[in-house]
Amino acid sequence: MLAKIRESEALWLFRRSPAAMLAALIAVVIITAAVLAPWIAPTNPYDLSSFSLIDGLLPPVWQDGGDPRFLLGTDDQGRDMLSSILYGARLSLAIAGMAMAVALVLGVGLGLAAGYFGGRFDAIVMRIADIQLALPAILTALLIDGISRGILPRELHDDLRLGVITLAIALSLWVNFARTARASVFVERSKDYVQAAIMMGQHPLRIMLRHILPNILGPLLVIATVDLASAILLEATLSFLGVGLPADSPSLGTLIRIGMQYLLSGEWWILWIPTIFLVVLVVSINLLGDFLRDLFNPGLR
Amino acid sequence: MARHKISSAALLIGAAMSVASAVSAETFRWAGTTDPQTMDPHAVNAAPVLSFLNNVYEGLVRRNGEMAVEPSLATSWEPLPEGAGWRFMLREGVTFHDGAEFNADDVLFSYERAVSETSDVKSWFASVTAVEKVDDYTVDFKTSSPNPLFPGSIANFMILDSGWAEANDATAPARESENFATRNANGTGPFRLTARDPGVETRLAPNDGWWDSLDSNVTEAVWTPIGNAATGLAALLSGEIDFISPIPLQDVEQVEGRDGFKVLSGLETRVIMLGFGHDHDTLKYSDETTDKNPFQDPRVRLSVAQAVDVATIDRVIMRGASEPASQLLPEGLSGWSEAHPDRPAFDADAAKAMLEEAGYPDGFSFGLMCPNDRYINDEALCRAVASMLAKIGVTAKVNAMPVRGYWDELRADNFDMYLLGWSPGTFDAEHPIRFLAHTPGERLGTWNFGGYSNARIDELLEPIQSEVDPAARQAMIDEVAGILQDEVAYVPLYTQPLIWAMKDSVDVVQRPDNFFLLRWVSVN
Repeated sequence: MLAKIRESEALWLFRRSPAAMLAALIAVVIITAAVLAPWIAPTNPYDLSSFSLIDGLLPPVWQDGGDPRFLLGTDDQGRDMLSSILYGARLSLAIAGMAMAVALVLGVGLGLAAGYFGGRFDAIVMRIADIQLALPAILTALLIDGISRGILPRELHDDLRLGVITLAIALSLWVNFARTARASVFVERSKDYVQAAIMMGQHPLRIMLRHILPNILGPLLVIATVDLASAILLEATLSFLGVGLPADSPSLGTLIRIGMQYLLSGEWWILWIPTIFLVVLVVSINLLGDFLRDLFNPGLR
Repeated sequence: MARHKISSAALLIGAAMSVASAVSAETFRWAGTTDPQTMDPHAVNAAPVLSFLNNVYEGLVRRNGEMAVEPSLATSWEPLPEGAGWRFMLREGVTFHDGAEFNADDVLFSYERAVSETSDVKSWFASVTAVEKVDDYTVDFKTSSPNPLFPGSIANFMILDSGWAEANDATAPARESENFATRNANGTGPFRLTARDPGVETRLAPNDGWWDSLDSNVTEAVWTPIGNAATGLAALLSGEIDFISPIPLQDVEQVEGRDGFKVLSGLETRVIMLGFGHDHDTLKYSDETTDKNPFQDPRVRLSVAQAVDVATIDRVIMRGASEPASQLLPEGLSGWSEAHPDRPAFDADAAKAMLEEAGYPDGFSFGLMCPNDRYINDEALCRAVASMLAKIGVTAKVNAMPVRGYWDELRADNFDMYLLGWSPGTFDAEHPIRFLAHTPGERLGTWNFGGYSNARIDELLEPIQSEVDPAARQAMIDEVAGILQDEVAYVPLYTQPLIWAMKDSVDVVQRPDNFFLLRWVSVN
């Protein structure tokens, strides 16, 4: 019953917010296109035999010299920009999504436990979180990538690259989840329904997961949305710096790094199109996050 | 495509030869993509190191702006009777930067150092049997057979002070580790090293006691390596640096169009080529072909040569500034074989058929090693090659890495195919034969990473070195060029362009070997 009212209220709010609607539309379109990239992209940019250097550096169709086969032009290797961007976005979103999921599970788990048990465990977890917060996310990510590069043999590191980047991003994002979860647990813990459950002798794990967690999902969802945008940006930054994904399986950040070389030479589409794409994607996700925050936090309305 | 020729490149000289009369203090800042790995002139035989150290150290002879050999620390030289070697008369009154005097002992010491175990320049002295001191200012280089080109071949053999090296425990070059000479230098050259911060900044100042007159008004020179070419160009345009080489090919037009900047371009004497792991029994980086090495079959190597479309690489990646190459040295250099001017024509179908004939109808996968900050657009080139090979069913897994660790990887045989650029230090066809085609050994074939070996070429090298009759010599060089082409020992791709960009106020001399010498720089 309550959920139903929430739902309709959400819908009502959503309908009245053109920004949220537009953002949702863009995000859905981009994410769908990225997920469906192998089926809708004109070519597969990872398949070396599918593109040819002869088509290199063609401008987008609307510019002189454009080729109708390549809607957004081609890069220096003759790869179709549209396909590269779709595949790149797919990779970026996959990494960001996985990193966010890992951060969510890790952060919420630790936060719930810290808030519920308190005491020494809480102190330790929260001090680690404080240390983590003092380090900029990009530094954490660079650090993890650097360490893994140092301890793993090169071939293994190349194979595990995706995992390393995901972990690097996840470890720089879990703190937000942990702190929010812990703070919410403090509030919920003293409430009657939790006290009742404790007195009934239920297992702490059950209390945490079945009673407390559902009631703090709102703020977590907001954080997850905003953090997804951060994760996308973080991945792009890492790839831009060259510690992310290699040039033959480009994510959005790698595409922007490659495009940088053409910044001054008039081949603007190689840099600008992936950059604009990234900005639009991140802004729309952030707008959605804002909307969710307003929704779950009536005081801000 | 045929826009430049080597000969014209050699003549592309700024107005720098005019005597610099300006006396004002001038700090000159210059940048490039590759930092010289070491300050030790015998530790790494690579252009970034030798070019840089030619400002600090000197050899017995040197090359001028047109690449002609002229006296340096030796005032004159003459062949010993019966072709037994060469006698060098040394310049008197020359001092090292630390004040020590230069004499025959330093030449002897530098020779011993240059042929020692850890030296990378041993092959310069492949024909030398002994070096003898006649008196304090006369030295004999004894050779096993007559070697008419010897003086020109040691222009980069730089002389260290024996006392300085001994005092600082640097009597042998340190190749993989470091010693005092890795970060410090004490030469006789026109500039002395004042500060060295590897990978960050290196400072030089004129050597007031230099024996020659300096055609430069630079009072302090600051070298900064800038790995990203676009960043380097931005630094030039913002005025942060005065000179950079190379700039991205795509940016040449817009730099030329700007007030206050100019571009000097030509062809470098450097051929970019693909090398194979001839002596590897198996592929190291293949997913499926793990029991043999297809590149040992000349038909497979030929199909690689046919599959690479050099004309398109030139148009898109090199922006029409390169020149296709058919041999290990660029057209126009001494000894270039007129008899073998053509590279295999681009023909993907023929390449595929050839591959089928060799028993690889479904292709195979392998690892392609590639530097990403050494040659112009090197990584883009490797990716383009990979894409072209994919069209004939061969999967190249590109591993692009900074040149810092690249040569070590090649020496450790960590490749199936690799990219190499070669500029013959002597400007003669004998040089690449000695370094790249001869079977690898202690002094010969030292950059023949793939271990290519052909008995006939090994046999011809010495007669080529000692033959005095140009026609007979050329006939032997032609034979070697023919063998290298028939066996597709390497796949030469193109001659790399030379692109220097600088402020209008800077005058330089562009040598076709891409050596940048501060003694010809003036800032107006």
